[in-house]
Amino acid sequence: MTNYGLVIDQERCIGCQACAVSCKQENNVPMGQFWNRVLTEGGDKLDTPAGGYPEDGDDGTLDMHYQPTACQHCENAPCVKVCPVNATYTRDDGIVEIDYDKCIGCRYCMAACPYNARVFNWDEPEHVPEEGTGDVEARPQGVVEKCTFCSHRVDEGLDPACVVNCPADARIFGDLDEETSTVSKYVNNYETDRLLEDRGTDPKTYYIRGEMSPGRPQTSDKLESELDDDAMPGVPAAKSGGDD
Amino acid sequence: MASTESSGIAVPAFGRKGKLWLGLLGALIVAGLAAWGYQLTTGLIATGMRNVFSWGLYIMMFVLFVGLSAGGLIISSAPKFFHSHRYEGFARLGVLVSLACITVAGLLILPDIGRPERLYQFVTSPDFRSPMVWDFGIVLLYGALNLWYLWLLTRRDLAAAGSRLAFGREDTEAGRERDRKLMFWTATVALPTAVALHSVTGWIFATQIGRGDWFSPLVAPVFIAKALVSGLGLLLVVAVLADRFTRFRVDREELASLGKVLGIFLAFHVVYLLAAERLPHAWANHFEFWAITGSFLIGESAYFWLWTVVGGALPLGLLAIPSLRKRVPVIVTAGALAVVGTMFEGIRLVFTGYEVANIDAAPGISLGGTYAGVGTDIWATAGSYTPTLVEVVVTLGIIAVGALIVTVGMRYVPIQQPDGQRSYATDGGHEDTT
Repeated sequence: MTNYGLVIDQERCIGCQACAVSCKQENNVPMGQFWNRVLTEGGDKLDTPAGGYPEDGDDGTLDMHYQPTACQHCENAPCVKVCPVNATYTRDDGIVEIDYDKCIGCRYCMAACPYNARVFNWDEPEHVPEEGTGDVEARPQGVVEKCTFCSHRVDEGLDPACVVNCPADARIFGDLDEETSTVSKYVNNYETDRLLEDRGTDPKTYYIRGEMSPGRPQTSDKLESELDDDAMPGVPAAKSGGDD
Repeated sequence: MASTESSGIAVPAFGRKGKLWLGLLGALIVAGLAAWGYQLTTGLIATGMRNVFSWGLYIMMFVLFVGLSAGGLIISSAPKFFHSHRYEGFARLGVLVSLACITVAGLLILPDIGRPERLYQFVTSPDFRSPMVWDFGIVLLYGALNLWYLWLLTRRDLAAAGSRLAFGREDTEAGRERDRKLMFWTATVALPTAVALHSVTGWIFATQIGRGDWFSPLVAPVFIAKALVSGLGLLLVVAVLADRFTRFRVDREELASLGKVLGIFLAFHVVYLLAAERLPHAWANHFEFWAITGSFLIGESAYFWLWTVVGGALPLGLLAIPSLRKRVPVIVTAGALAVVGTMFEGIRLVFTGYEVANIDAAPGISLGGTYAGVGTDIWATAGSYTPTLVEVVVTLGIIAVGALIVTVGMRYVPIQQPDGQRSYATDGGHEDTT
């Protein structure tokens, strides 16, 4: 079975917001809404650290990390369990997705999601340019929407937009059930944690903290499983980010 | 419709005041419909809700009215279950009030959802893991049960009065005997259904790991307790108002006795259950004796104080003082305060869930409000909420539907048990409800 998951190497992340912006563009996310956000762990504002400068011979305590945050595609997803009409469901490949034709807009899923990953179309969604961007149909007023791991791309054998557009190769997407996949290897070999692990949601998004990984190995925008054997990952060969 | 002196009809005809009251309710309902229509075209942007604080007044009032619908049915069915005649004077009015409240609760869901035209999905594509599906079912069942029970309690009297609402039933001694048995069996179904209704509504919140205090096994028992408090409080207020404005007559002793019961419910709810909920947290989070005590006793928000003092300690005090608690105005005040307190408890519950975001790193969560060009602050790291005029008008309109149900019920259904007490003279056919 395929079970897609995402590894985000916070040591590699440079906080450039490329994933957030490319997500918005690829998925035609309305103005004023974000499916994917790059949060600053540190100060009260974006791109600001906590702590203070070195003074009077003391060590400084400045500290800052970036935490890209979108739908965590939980194994035990509360949003799936609360949806009264089966509009939010887990696909066979583990991706948590919404049927926008079924959603009644009760927003119980937004109450259920501990990550605030979901947004609701409070009014008629506005797009710039008006005809929208990317390859995903716009969602109507009155439904909830969120990150889909770019299931429309995954279905065509392509990595999610945020993954191929990460210039730091900090995002690695792949099959957690496949032992030789890069995501499986990184989850096994590096110290990873998941957001709000104590809530028991069992997210499929892992964050590497501490030792930096070699990052996303493949050079194309294809899914790792679509690559030829000789181009297989493991050792980071020539990395060039990837293009889309 | 027949409405003779002996029919038990509380409002034989609408007088001038009665028509004024109906006009007011009609105006509120029309205004509510207009506001809902406006909200349907603009979207829920017309409300104060946004992405962080995504449930508001409609859900807060839903919780309140589900609770309010408890009192009447329980007061009328619990004695029947034990083959007692206690509080019989309240039985019919109680079920009527319950029916009105559960209707209000059900209707409040309509404006809350983004695409009400897809409600049929509850039937065609339900996920039985969702507490909302259970609640949908139990609210419908409870409403149907109230309707059936009200008819069962009154159909022989309706038949005796020649009302078409008897639907062909006749007033025979054998029929009344059979109905008494049916009432017992209905009571045996009604009581567990009421318990299930309030528990399931509590579990909508209590199952959620992502919203602070919601995730607590105590929520369901607390919902039962607050249903008893607020439901009985409302019934006492409505009964006294009906006594004041219609031919319905309240038995003063039963009223005083139910006042005492309300005091017991309040003590159990606001003193005992709240203490049981707060003590473990206060104890675990603090070290010094006075720090534990302070954290146990002192709440964190205005809603907490409105609930515990205005809606808890004050009515409890009124009902505890022997020289006061038999006075009708005191009972009405205590009942009304209990309802207000329960309302603020529900408001507080929703606030504790949404005020704090679990992950509140900058810049936060996109709110999803109107985007007004570069410079619009679309982010929030915490939830905040103020209902808009649209939400208030829609809510008032729906509550007016409930008041209309009670009013029309008093006009066409014999709400007074026809036995002896109805011979009170009255000054005219006026009526009122909350």
